[in-house]
Amino acid sequence: MVPEWMDALGEVRSAVLLPGGASKEAWAVEVDGRELLVRRAGGGVIHQMTLTLEQEFEVLRTAHEAGVRVPEPVSYYRDLGGREAFSMERVHGETIGRRIVRDPPDGLPEQMAEELARIHAIPPDRLPFLAADDPVGRMRAELDTVDEPHPAIELGLTWVDERLARRRAPTFAHGDWRIGNLVVSPHGLEYVLDWEFAHVGDPAEDVAWPLVRAWRFGADDRRLGGVGDVEPYLERYNELTGQDVSLEELDVWEVLGNAKWAIGCLTQARRHLDGRDRSVEYAVLGRIAAEMEYELLDLVEQAS
Amino acid sequence: MHDRPDALELLEAVTEFIGDEILPVVDDHRLRFRTLVALNALGIAYRELRAGDDDGPSSSELRDLARRIRAGDVPGDALPLLKAHVASKLRISNPSYLDKYG
Repeated sequence: MVPEWMDALGEVRSAVLLPGGASKEAWAVEVDGRELLVRRAGGGVIHQMTLTLEQEFEVLRTAHEAGVRVPEPVSYYRDLGGREAFSMERVHGETIGRRIVRDPPDGLPEQMAEELARIHAIPPDRLPFLAADDPVGRMRAELDTVDEPHPAIELGLTWVDERLARRRAPTFAHGDWRIGNLVVSPHGLEYVLDWEFAHVGDPAEDVAWPLVRAWRFGADDRRLGGVGDVEPYLERYNELTGQDVSLEELDVWEVLGNAKWAIGCLTQARRHLDGRDRSVEYAVLGRIAAEMEYELLDLVEQAS
Repeated sequence: MHDRPDALELLEAVTEFIGDEILPVVDDHRLRFRTLVALNALGIAYRELRAGDDDGPSSSELRDLARRIRAGDVPGDALPLLKAHVASKLRISNPSYLDKYG
């Protein structure tokens, strides 16, 4: 069944609502002989830290123009059946972390470095609506919405706050750069997805985010997202960008990354608890946060 | 006093039903994943009920500690204390997770 509001898209042959959160819908649509993905606002409240669909479309378009491997953005709709939406090319390939780390393609770490360098080269003034903020302050504000004491996360944030260099010029940042948001084929990296957390900030935050243990999907001995070593990735990234991100600095950002994902779990559990998005998956995340708490305490202990 | 099965025994019964009778016939990848998540949730509830009241720091103690740490006043024993506190949460939520740390 094709919903009537899809008429605005063109000649729609099929439309399937993909499973996901209630705040944003994702539809796999075949329209005018082309496979598209339609992202549309849902009934629920959208995460406070994410971009609007209009902004996300703008980011996608800018990244596409900059030569970043992203699904081709197609159209933005201010009103598609009463809600904001946009369409983009529907791409195929592997995004499931557990499957990718089982047999990662050769050269993936270097390809990740090259793609991230391209992303960070996007001039931030092309996207003036993107906010720049201090990451520790941003995370404390988000943790405060949870209303449950988490001294382990606080310890991580205070430890990081004392060590962040804060000397690098801010760049455009993807905001959720990790295995799981990258489409990977046997040839390597194909597409970069999930741009809704894009912002302006220290590029080292993106560089370190895929190192977080949760994003190694069980392949813990390969620190870069369960797919490879950090050194070739970091070396290639610095070479291409002219940055000087060090391994010691990544240790600090990795602690921050664990705090960030712990807070992410806690806030998503609140979506279930306060009735915005009732879901057993969101509910359980509230109890998963302790894993990142332990990891960050262990990293802090090792570093001291 | 309630009649048997008690709460733990009921959780066990539901866990066995979902694991032994539902899971084997769920083919849809997404639904299968959510069924496993639901089983995990039941496991957490089971372990929490079985363990009874925990004797770790109270909510107000944790709140005070969180406030102190944010203000930059980190007690000298904060790290071992918090490791023990988080480990006790993990023994309920995901006991095998701690194996990774030896």
